[in-house]
Amino acid sequence: MNLAGLALRNLRRRPIRTALSILGIALAVGSALALLALSRSIQDATREGMDEVGDDLAVTQKDAPDIFAGFLPADTEARVAKIAGVVRASGEMFMFAPTERNRQALTIGWPETSYLWAKVPLREGRVPTAGERGVAVLGDATASALAKKLGDKIEILGASFTVIGIANYKAIINRGTVMLPLADLQELSYRLNQVTMVHINVARDASAADIARVRRDVEALGGVTVSTSSETLDNDRNFKILNAVSLAISIIALAMGVIYVLNSLVMATQERTREIGIVAAIGWSDTRIMTSIVIEGLVMCAIGCVFGLLLSFFTAFAFPLIPTIGDMISFRPSPRLMAVTIGAAFVLCAVGSLYPAWRAISLMPAEALRRA
Amino acid sequence: MIGILKRLFTRTTSSDFPAPPLIALDGVARAFDDGTIVALKSVDLAIHAGECVAILGPSGSGKSSVVNLLSGIDRPTAGRILWNGTPTKSRRAWARLRRNGIGIVFQEFNLLPTLTAGENVEMALMACGVPAEERRTRAAAALERVGLAHRVKHLPHALSGGERQRVAIARSIVNAPRLLLADEPTGNLDSANAEIVAELLFNLQRDTGMTLVLVTHDERLAARCRRCVRMRDGEVADDRIQAVAPTRSIMQEAAPPIAQPVEPATKPDAPTAETVRTLVEAAPPIAEATAATAQVRTSVTEAAE
Repeated sequence: MNLAGLALRNLRRRPIRTALSILGIALAVGSALALLALSRSIQDATREGMDEVGDDLAVTQKDAPDIFAGFLPADTEARVAKIAGVVRASGEMFMFAPTERNRQALTIGWPETSYLWAKVPLREGRVPTAGERGVAVLGDATASALAKKLGDKIEILGASFTVIGIANYKAIINRGTVMLPLADLQELSYRLNQVTMVHINVARDASAADIARVRRDVEALGGVTVSTSSETLDNDRNFKILNAVSLAISIIALAMGVIYVLNSLVMATQERTREIGIVAAIGWSDTRIMTSIVIEGLVMCAIGCVFGLLLSFFTAFAFPLIPTIGDMISFRPSPRLMAVTIGAAFVLCAVGSLYPAWRAISLMPAEALRRA
Repeated sequence: MIGILKRLFTRTTSSDFPAPPLIALDGVARAFDDGTIVALKSVDLAIHAGECVAILGPSGSGKSSVVNLLSGIDRPTAGRILWNGTPTKSRRAWARLRRNGIGIVFQEFNLLPTLTAGENVEMALMACGVPAEERRTRAAAALERVGLAHRVKHLPHALSGGERQRVAIARSIVNAPRLLLADEPTGNLDSANAEIVAELLFNLQRDTGMTLVLVTHDERLAARCRRCVRMRDGEVADDRIQAVAPTRSIMQEAAPPIAQPVEPATKPDAPTAETVRTLVEAAPPIAEATAATAQVRTSVTEAAE
C-alpha cells in the first residue's frame, strides 16, 4: 500500500460522488480539447487550403477586419501583375453561398484566364473554357454531400449551374468548395468588377529581399495589404474571435472540472476529519497528509483525463456527421494540444486540491478526533 | 567512617545527577472556548523513562487532556511540555515524536475502516518512510505480538472490540516507542477483553521497558501501576508511588503465547525491564519526586536563559 493506493481506496468509498467528479473532469478535458482542436483545425485547414491553391502572397483590402469582408477593384490584378518580380497574379472572389439541401458552400470565383484553374486537381471532367458561363467545378466533398455528378445541375445563390468537373483536393476546406467563373459570382453577389483577394506568385528563386520588395511595391498601389497565407489568417478577425472564444470556453470548462474535484475533496476531507486526526495522531506529518489528499485529487484528474481524451476523439470522429460543416472541417487533437490541456488540468487540480488539504491539517489532531 | 570518607572524596560524575524526565508538563493549562471551559489549571507532571503511571480521575477531571498534551495532539493554552528536558512546541516536532517516540492507544480504537488490520499497523510505519516490504514484515510481527497474527487481512468491522484494540496497540508499538499513552484503553470493552488488553499493555511495558501512561477511571487497573496520579477539576490532586497489585494473566491463559518483542530495548537510553524495576523500587517518595520536577524546571529555565 502506498499513498496512491490509499487514495484509490478512499475514492472507492464514495463511488457515485467520485464517478461524478471524474465525469466532470472528463467533460471538461474532452470539451476543452475538442474546442481548441476545432478552432486550431479550422485555421490550419484554411491555411492548408490556401497553400494547396498555391500562392506566395495574397493582396487584400487594407484594414479589412477579415478575409471575407474586404473587397478590391478587379483591375488590381492587372496592376499587380505589372510589378517587377511578380510572375503571375489572379483575382479571386469567395464567399459562403447558399446551395441545395439548405447547405452553405464555400464558393470561389476565378477569372476565366486565371492560372488557378490550371492548378485544379481534377478527378473527373474539366475546368471552364474561356468565356464559358453557367458552369461549376465541385470539390469532391461537395459533390458527395449533394450527390452530384458530371452534367448535373447545381443551384448556387438561386442560379443554376452545370457541373463540368469534380476536383480532388487534399485540404478538407478545398474539398468542400464550389468553383465558378468569376463573372458569374460577381453578377450573382452584386459585386461587379470586384474581387476579394489577388493571389501573387513570385519567381521560385526569389530571395527574401525580392519578396519584401514586391510587398512594398504592391502596397505602394494604395489601399491594400500584402501578406503570406499565414499572416492573412493570423490577422483575421474571425479567427482571432474563434481562438479567443475557444480558449475562454476551454478555461471555463477546465475550471468547472476543477470545481467538481475541489467540491468532492472538500466533502471527502470533511467526512474524514476523524481519520485525518487518526493519521496525524500516529505521526503523519502535515506534508504527508496534504500530499495524500492532493494525490486523491490527481488520481481523479488522471482518470478524468483518460475519459476526456476518449471523449475528444469520439467528438472528432462524430464531427463529420454534422450537416453543413461536417464535410468542410475535420479535427483531431494533436499530441501537443493533448499535453497542454492535460497538463493544465493536472496543475489546476493540484492547486484546487491544496485547499481541502490545507483544511485537513488546519485542525489539531485532538480537535479532529473530537469533531467526528 | 571509611565509607563516609570515600563518598566525600569521590569525584562527582554527570551520572550522579538525576536524568531529566522523559516527558514533563511544566505549568501546563488548557482552556476551551476562549477560556470559558478550563480543562487543566497549571499542571506540573514529570514522567521518567520506564515508569508505569496511571492517571485516574472522574469524568471531566482533565485526564484525557493530559494525554492529549503529552502526545502533542493538542496544544496547551499556557505552560511548556518538555521531552527529555527540551521544550517541544512545533507541530512538526510533535509529529516526529509520535512517529518515533510516542505511541497512543485510544478508547475508541481509531482504526481506519477501509484498511485491514495489517494495513492499519503499516500506517504508522508509512509515516516513517519505511519500505513496503519491511512495513509488511514489521506489521505482521507487531500483530503477532498482540496475538493477532491470524487477523492480518481482516478489516476492522470483522474484528471484535478487543481485537480492534489489540490492533490499535500493535499500531502504537510497531515503531518501538519510548512512551506509550493509553487513554481509557479498556473503556469500550467487556470485562474479559478489558483484562486481555490490560494484561497486554502491562506485559509490553514490563518486557520492553517502555514508559506506560494509562488513563483510566478503573481503580483496579490503576492499582496495577506503580505510580498513580489522581486528577480532580483540572489539577493533580494526588501523585504517589504505590505497591503494585498482583495481576491475573488471562492473556497467558486464553491467548496464544506472545512472541518476542518487535524491537527489544536496544536503544542506548531505553532502560531494560530489570533497570526499570530497580529504578521504580528505588524511586523517591512523592515529595522528593515533586522536588526533582521543580529542579528540572529550574535547570531548564536557566538553560533557556
